Amino acid sequence: MKFRTIIKKLNILIAICVSYFPTVHSYEYQDAGESSVSIIAESKTFEAGDDLLVGLSFKLNPGWHTYWENPGDAGEGASIIWTLPDGIKASKILWPGPERIPVEPLMTFGYEDEVVLLTQISSNKNIDFPLKLSAKISWLTCKDICIPQEAEVDIEINKGEKNLNKNAVSLKRVLNTLSKPFPYEYRLEKLDKNYFLQFQFEEPENITNSFFFPRDYGVLNYSKIQNLEKNNLSVSLELPVAEVQSDHKRLKGVLYIEEGDNVNYYEINTPLINEPQKELNQSIGILTAIIFAFIGGLILNVMPCVFPILSIKILSFIKQSGGSRQKLAQHGLIFSTGVLFTFFLIAGLLLAIKSTGESIGWGYQLQSPVVVSILIYLFTAIGIVFMTNLTIGSQLAQLGGITKNSSDLSSSFFTGMLAVIVASPCTAPFMGSALGLALLQPGFSSISIFAGLGLGFSAPYLILSFNPSLLQALPKPGEWMETLKQFMAFPMWASAIWLLWVLSGQVEILSVILVLLGALLISLGLWLLERNQLTSGYKKRIVQACLLALLGLSLWLIPTEYQNNNKDSYMNQNYYSPEKVAALREENKSIFLNFTADWCITCKVNEAVALSRQNIQDTLKEKDITYLKADWTKKDSVIASKLAEYGRTGVPLYLLFSKGQEPIILPEILTEDLLMNYLKEVPK
Amino acid sequence: MKFIQLIFIFLLSIFMNTTFAAVKTGNNVPEFTLLDSYGNEISLLEFKGKTIILEWTNHGCPFVAKHYSSENMQNTQKNAKEFGAVWISIISSAPGTQGYVTSEEANNLTKSRNAQPDHVLFDEEGTIGRLYDAKTTPHMYIIDAEGVLKYQGAIDDAGGRGFMSKDLSKANNYVLNALNEIINSKEVKDHTTKPYGCSVKYKS
Repeated sequence: MKFRTIIKKLNILIAICVSYFPTVHSYEYQDAGESSVSIIAESKTFEAGDDLLVGLSFKLNPGWHTYWENPGDAGEGASIIWTLPDGIKASKILWPGPERIPVEPLMTFGYEDEVVLLTQISSNKNIDFPLKLSAKISWLTCKDICIPQEAEVDIEINKGEKNLNKNAVSLKRVLNTLSKPFPYEYRLEKLDKNYFLQFQFEEPENITNSFFFPRDYGVLNYSKIQNLEKNNLSVSLELPVAEVQSDHKRLKGVLYIEEGDNVNYYEINTPLINEPQKELNQSIGILTAIIFAFIGGLILNVMPCVFPILSIKILSFIKQSGGSRQKLAQHGLIFSTGVLFTFFLIAGLLLAIKSTGESIGWGYQLQSPVVVSILIYLFTAIGIVFMTNLTIGSQLAQLGGITKNSSDLSSSFFTGMLAVIVASPCTAPFMGSALGLALLQPGFSSISIFAGLGLGFSAPYLILSFNPSLLQALPKPGEWMETLKQFMAFPMWASAIWLLWVLSGQVEILSVILVLLGALLISLGLWLLERNQLTSGYKKRIVQACLLALLGLSLWLIPTEYQNNNKDSYMNQNYYSPEKVAALREENKSIFLNFTADWCITCKVNEAVALSRQNIQDTLKEKDITYLKADWTKKDSVIASKLAEYGRTGVPLYLLFSKGQEPIILPEILTEDLLMNYLKEVPK
Repeated sequence: MKFIQLIFIFLLSIFMNTTFAAVKTGNNVPEFTLLDSYGNEISLLEFKGKTIILEWTNHGCPFVAKHYSSENMQNTQKNAKEFGAVWISIISSAPGTQGYVTSEEANNLTKSRNAQPDHVLFDEEGTIGRLYDAKTTPHMYIIDAEGVLKYQGAIDDAGGRGFMSKDLSKANNYVLNALNEIINSKEVKDHTTKPYGCSVKYKS
C-alpha cells in the first residue's frame, strides 16, 4: 500500500517537473520504479500533412516484465492517452509480438528488458508548429508482484523536412517485428477436444519453435504446451482449448515462428469450427425456419419437378377466368387445402415413422418403387387426358360415385396433392436445413414449418384466385388453349420418363418393362373411355368395368420390393460404406463423399456440371482424393443415419475429408469453379 | 462416481503443477474444507441452502488494493450480505509470496479495511485455487443454494488497459448483477467473464 502511494506521488512529482521544464524531457527515460519510459520519434521535424512514427520506449529492470495487448492469465497491457494539438491524430498502439512469461502455473504474455510500443501520428495541412505530442501512460510492471506505474511524456516537433535520426533506425526495426499477414494458407481443425492450426510453410523443417498467442479470452488455454508437428509440406500446431469457454466465432491472434535466429510474427484470423449439428440448431430459429419454408415454397413453383403439374393449374385458371368470382376463389382455396393437406400428411407420416425409430428423410416417398410406379401411371394418364378430349376429373369422380358438381373442386384438391408429391425432391437445396430442423423439432413446430412451406407453395394461386383482375392479364380462353393443353402432354410424359429412370435404379429391368406395360394398359383403358364417352347404359358399364380391370392389372404389375439390379456393379469399389471411410481416414487419405439419389434432380445437375468434369476428375486423381458415392435412391438406413449426423434429412450432401481430418461440408449447389476451390485446399 | 472423479482431480492438481480442473458454470462445484483466520475448519457443505460468494484475494496486489481503497469491494460485500449470501475470501498465496498473511494479519486487514467477509480461508498449498482454476486476484465465483456454480470471472467490467485510472463506482458489477438474477430466479446473463488482476501467487 505504502509503496504504491510513494510511487504514485513520485509519478505525479515527475509529471509536474516534466511539465514545468519542457526542455529536459525529450529523450530522457522517466524513471518510475522498476521500469521507465521515454518517447522517441523518427524525426524531430516534419511538414504539415506528413505522417510520423513515434514510439514509447520502455526499459525494465532485470526480471521484470510488462504486458502485451492480451496479457494472458493475469496482468494488463499498457494504456496510452494522447493529448494532441488540432489536426493531429494518433493510431492505436502497434504492439510488437510478445513472448511467453510463465508465472507457474499460469501463463502471461508480455515483454522483458525493453519494448517499444509504436504509434503512427498523422496530420492534416492546418497545423501550427512547434507541435507538442504528449502521452499519459499507465502500465503494470511485474515480477512475482506487480507495480502499477504512470508517467507523462512529451516531445516537441518542429516544422521542416523529415530528418530521420538514429531513433528512426530503432523504430523501423521495431516496425519490422510487428505481426504481418500470414503469406501461406492456413486453417483450423478440431480433433477430439483440441484445435489444430494447420499451415503451409516454405520450409517447415527449418521451424525451430512456434507458438500461437490468442487475442481473445475463453478460446485457448494459455499455459498448456502447444505441440508442433511438421512434415515436408505443412505444419500443425496443437492448440489446447480453454477450460472455460466464451462465445467466439473466430480465432484471432498472432503466430510466432522461429527459424533459428530469424523470428517472425504473423496475424491469424480464422473461423472457429463448430459441430455441424450445433451449427444447424443455432443458425436457424423456428420463426426463421417458417419464413424460409414460405420462401422455399414460393420458389418451388418454378422448379422443374412441379412445372408440368402447375401448368394444369394455370390452364384451369384460364378456363375458369370467365367463371364467377366466387367459384374461382373456391378453387383457389381447395387447391391450397390440397397442398397443405398433403404437406401435413407427409409431415405426419415422417414424424410417425421417425417415432418408430426408423431413419428417414425428405423425398423418401420416391424411394418406394410403388410410389414411383403409380406416379409413372399418373403422368402417362395425365398426358393422354391432355391429348384427348377426356375430362379426367369428372370421369374419376363418376367412377368414385361423386356428383358432377363437386368433381371440378375435387380435381383442384387432387392437383394440389399431386403438385406436392412431385415437388418434394426439388425441395432439398432450399429447404435442406429448414426441413432438417422441422424433423428435429417436436410436433407443433415441425407442423408449422410444413405449413409455411405449403402456404408459400400455394400463395401465388391464392392471390390469383382472389384477384380475378390479375387473371385478366392472362390471355383470353380460346382455340390456343386446346393446342397448349395438348402440348403439355409432353412435359408430363417427360416426367414419366424421368421417373422410369428413377425406378430403374430401384428394381430389375424386367420390372421396369412391366411398369411400362402397365402404362400401356392404362392408356388402352383411357382410349376405350374416350371412344365411348358419349355412350350410355350397359355399354358404358362394360367400358367402365374394362377400365377398372386394366387399372387393376397395371397396379398388379407394380414391383413392390427392391431388386438387385447390379447396374453399377463395375463401380462397386466406389460405393460408400462407413468402414471404407474409416479405413481411408486411418491411412490419412483424402476422400470426397457424394450423397446422392437418382430422384434428386439437384444431385444429378451437380454431378453433370461439376463432379463429372474432366478438370475435377483430374484434380481428384492428382491429389489422390478417393471418390465415394453414397446412393440413396433406395432406402438405406446407414446412409440416412449418416445424413442425420450432419443435420440433413435429404440429399445432396457433399463431404470433403482432407488427409483423414474432420470433413468440410460443401454447398448443396456446386459449380465447377466452386468445387475446384475446395479441392485446391486439399494437400497432395 | 463423482467422488472418485473429485479425488482424481485433487490428486492430479497436487502432483501436477500445471493441471487445472476448471469448474464449468452450471455444474456442481467441488466440496472443500479449509482453515479460516480463527483456526476453524470451514467446509463448503455447511452453507448448503445459501448463496456463496468466493473471492480470491491478495491484499498486496494493486488490483485488489484498488478495489478495497475505493471501497468497491466492501460495498459489494455489504450488498451481497443484504441478499443473504455468504462471503468467503480465499488466499492462495504460498508462504513467502505476496499476499501470504498470518491469521492475525488477516484479521487486522479485515478490520482496517472495514471489510465484511464471513470467513477468510487459507489455501497456502494452492490446492483449492487450482481446483477452481482461480487465475487472478480478484477472481470471483458465485455458488447457488444447490451447490451449482452460477458465475465465475471478474468482479466488474473495469478490467483491461487503463484499469488503474478508472472510477470503479461507475463499473458494471457482474457479481451484484448475477446475485440479483439468482435471487429473482432468472438465468445469469453474464455467467462467465474474463477475470482480471494479478496472477494468484501459487506455490511452485
